[in-house]
Amino acid sequence: MEQLFNISVITDNFTYFMIGRFPHGPLGGVGLTLYLAVASCILSFIGGLILGLLSVSRFPAVRYPALAFINLVRGMPLLMVIFWMYFLLPALFGKIPENNTVILALSLFTSAYMSRIIVAGIDGIPKGQTEAATSTGLKSWQVMYYIILPQALRNMIPSFVNQFVSLIKDTSLAFIVGVSELTHVATQINNRTMAFPTEIFAFIAIIYFILCFAFTTLSRWLEQRLSWSKAI
Amino acid sequence: MKKLVTLCMMVALATITVKAAQAGDTLADVKKKGVLTVGCKDSLPPFGYIDEKSRQIVGYDIDFVNAIAKKLGVKVELKPVTSASRMPQLQEGHIDIIAATMTKNAERAKVIDFSHAYFLTGQKFITKKGSVNSLKDLEGKRIGTAKGSTSEKNVAAAIPSATILSFDDYPQAFLALMQGKVSAVTTDEAILAGILAKAPTKGQFEIPNIQISDEPYGLGMRKGDTNFVNFVNKTILEMEKSGEAKAIFEKWFGPTTQFHLERTFKISADK
Amino acid sequence: MLNYTFDWSIITSGQYFDWLLAGLITTLKLSAISIVLAFLLGLLIAVMRMAHSKPVRWFALAYLEFFRNTPLLVQIFFWYFGSYKILPVFINDWLNKTGFEFAAAAIALTIYTSAFIAEDIRSGVLSIPKEQMEAARSAGFSYLRSMQYIILPQAVRITIPPLVNQFLNLAKNSSLAMTIGVMEMTYQARQVESYSFKGFEAFTAATVVYLVLSIVITALVNLYNEKVLNVHKAA
Repeated sequence: MEQLFNISVITDNFTYFMIGRFPHGPLGGVGLTLYLAVASCILSFIGGLILGLLSVSRFPAVRYPALAFINLVRGMPLLMVIFWMYFLLPALFGKIPENNTVILALSLFTSAYMSRIIVAGIDGIPKGQTEAATSTGLKSWQVMYYIILPQALRNMIPSFVNQFVSLIKDTSLAFIVGVSELTHVATQINNRTMAFPTEIFAFIAIIYFILCFAFTTLSRWLEQRLSWSKAI
Repeated sequence: MKKLVTLCMMVALATITVKAAQAGDTLADVKKKGVLTVGCKDSLPPFGYIDEKSRQIVGYDIDFVNAIAKKLGVKVELKPVTSASRMPQLQEGHIDIIAATMTKNAERAKVIDFSHAYFLTGQKFITKKGSVNSLKDLEGKRIGTAKGSTSEKNVAAAIPSATILSFDDYPQAFLALMQGKVSAVTTDEAILAGILAKAPTKGQFEIPNIQISDEPYGLGMRKGDTNFVNFVNKTILEMEKSGEAKAIFEKWFGPTTQFHLERTFKISADK
Repeated sequence: MLNYTFDWSIITSGQYFDWLLAGLITTLKLSAISIVLAFLLGLLIAVMRMAHSKPVRWFALAYLEFFRNTPLLVQIFFWYFGSYKILPVFINDWLNKTGFEFAAAAIALTIYTSAFIAEDIRSGVLSIPKEQMEAARSAGFSYLRSMQYIILPQAVRITIPPLVNQFLNLAKNSSLAMTIGVMEMTYQARQVESYSFKGFEAFTAATVVYLVLSIVITALVNLYNEKVLNVHKAA
């Protein structure tokens, strides 16, 4: 506390911040944060696609449960979803490592939001296309699969990247259940050194910012490119 | 309305399908997979903390489970847990044994099984020097501790007028004390001594001689996991006999450390 | 062998019910205070973001980007544990006495949410035809006055539904305050779990509360959309 800022706590523990106990122990730090975010992003894309398609189904018996589920998840804080998964998954499926519990919780939570993006994307394709495709004799799933989805998904790419940014931020909650991602690693170091909370939390804020801002910028760039090619 | 109905259905589903992890034969399982998965603290010197150089978890608790694993002929996998997460983790089968400064008490013994006590300490306070001489001085004050710990319950009973702030772990509570956010941090003396020894401004703090409870630590295992509990108990009694248990104590708390604690207990079979 | 027996009575009465109720009140208080402050701050940032002066615009942009692209949890930790080095001593002392954890959570939630609100307000403003600003300026209003009297009142009306959604997000995000010891809903649910080992009951109670909150608020937004916005569009 004598000097204003002391960055030696960062430089001394830099490797630990980046990869945790790897390679002689499990991966942690930034490495684990990215792993959690990427794995959850892939799973929640699949989950979101399924939920999204179910929620625009012509059959009420399919549509309403899907909508109810989406709203249930969207109504809960992510922290609650994590706690629930933490309780439910082992009871339902037996032993599951925490990393996977967190990935499943993040995926479930993000799927609900992804599904809304997908529905919006589908709505964004002019109705005329569906009608035209149907009148050529295609079945409704074929219309969706060959005509609507390929265009809709392309338009949604920027929104997906934004969801990925949210996921990177959300992985910080994994700290609560003891998964050694960046925030957990930072609290470990903070707990051990005790004198440098300002430096440590400012440092990881900057790391998160760099990661997220890079993807936000990518998303904006994609948005411009896509709107440009649409204009042609 | 529909959402509420669905929710109720989900809860009902959960009700039906919920079954707590069964206590199989952990001893046989661990031998079969060749790994003993241990829930430990990862920022609580000298019980369990990350060594800055090796980036691995070390400490008093760790040495005990290492000895047990060695006897079993298996490897150790360490999983960091908090005071609040360790029991669910054990019950759900994420870990095989808890070695995380866990106090044996009757309430917990209803849910899990404990080994004999492998460490003995008592709950005290850490405060700014000279600010607290008796429990009275803490009345109506803000006191920090950790979520889900016995310390939290003990202090609420001992000083009902105090505001208890529960953090994820003790060092965070101590940080709050250093910054003046709480007037005292309470937990077991050995943990407090560990925190104080590592504190950058240790001269400003002290541990007044006020004890509000005895805290025997036990290794936690799933309820009814008799073979495993017997094996662990046998092992730690042997460690006491051979002097290994004492050596571990000396290594982490003895005169060569910053703590200079006296070993006032021996590991023995509980009545 | 363990068998989980459900005991719903523990959360419907007695000590645990009191805890959960206290948690709900804290959650509502924290969310209400933060949303008001976040709205005011967001309004300020939105105006700065559209200002003529370049440094002001850049400051607002940097603020937006930084706080939107950092996890809320890290911001909460920063304000709680890290801010003592940058806050004046007397503010620190005062906050410590009054309960820093609540203040730190409110500050973090306010700043985080204000960044999102600012963008919502900005898109609201951009949806107001440019000509209105030009007309106001040519009628002799200054830039700020035109904003104040002509543009913002309309923009805010359009922005109300997204703002309410931000409030919902904020109420859900306030659960993160438990990590620094604010005794809100999720904290209390966790507390009930660790005292009674009845996790299912405690988490169900908390979940139902959050859901009721979102259902009620979402319903109000839908009503507003139909009654207020459509009526005006039709007119």
